[in-house]
Amino acid sequence: MANPDLETPEFIERLRAGDRAAFALVVKHYHPRLLGAARTMLQPADAEEAVQDGWIAAHRALPKFEGRSALLTWLTRIVINQARMQLRKGGREVQFDPTEEGAADALAHRFNANGHWQEPPRAWALSGPDALLTRDELQHCLESHITAMPDNQRLALQLRDIQGLDFNDICNIMDVSASNVRVLVHRARARLFEMVDRFQETGEC
Amino acid sequence: MLKCQEVELRADALVDGTPLSRRERLSLNMHLLMCRHCRRYVRQLRALTAHLRHRESPTAHDDQVQAVLDCVHHSKQTTD
Ligand SMILES: [Zn+2]
Repeated sequence: MANPDLETPEFIERLRAGDRAAFALVVKHYHPRLLGAARTMLQPADAEEAVQDGWIAAHRALPKFEGRSALLTWLTRIVINQARMQLRKGGREVQFDPTEEGAADALAHRFNANGHWQEPPRAWALSGPDALLTRDELQHCLESHITAMPDNQRLALQLRDIQGLDFNDICNIMDVSASNVRVLVHRARARLFEMVDRFQETGEC
Repeated sequence: MLKCQEVELRADALVDGTPLSRRERLSLNMHLLMCRHCRRYVRQLRALTAHLRHRESPTAHDDQVQAVLDCVHHSKQTTD
């Protein structure tokens, strides 16, 4: 989620005026998230390079940043564009529309032919000291499932559920229609729901 | 009446706060009133997305920040 301290008009004004400490603070807070977004498209070393090039481009463009979107959204768009350029250099074109590959809803098998739950969700332990979602093993399991998703689902999930961007901004960044972004986010969530549900049942990833 | 599988496909709208037509909202709420499995699904999906959103996002190490700043500064010098 965007850091509210870095999104105030006063802070943005400092940034646009070339305040070095302000820029360093933005790098400190947003670099890992931008790297996370770039890694959805590129190998780790290439992702580092794309984010680095993104910072250079952003630093140059900052005086023109008008604050019409959140700073994090604006930076993410710049980094995704850098990542696209890198892929293009390597002869790969990116297209994020949903495909048949990885299309099935990960929860589809839990319904019978009439569309009723045949294997309903288990009750997750949501509170208490051993709450399911706060357990370390589950964090690792979430990470590895996110890493293993198809690129377009991972990027949509990263932008929506991890960075907290608006659907409109995600459509622009990914160049995918609103309904297709929603499909991608739904499929990504269904995968993770299925994974957490299995973890609740078996305690294993 | 919606089927559970249709609720599963529409639950994202509830989680995302997507505006729904009166009719869509009514049919979803009707189903949720009657079906505890889908109520549980929606509640846990909300918990899952909230968890993803609010996981502590790491900050970059100081030397990582310095590396970025050096690079930005260097590129400025070479293009100015
Ligand atoms: Zn139901």
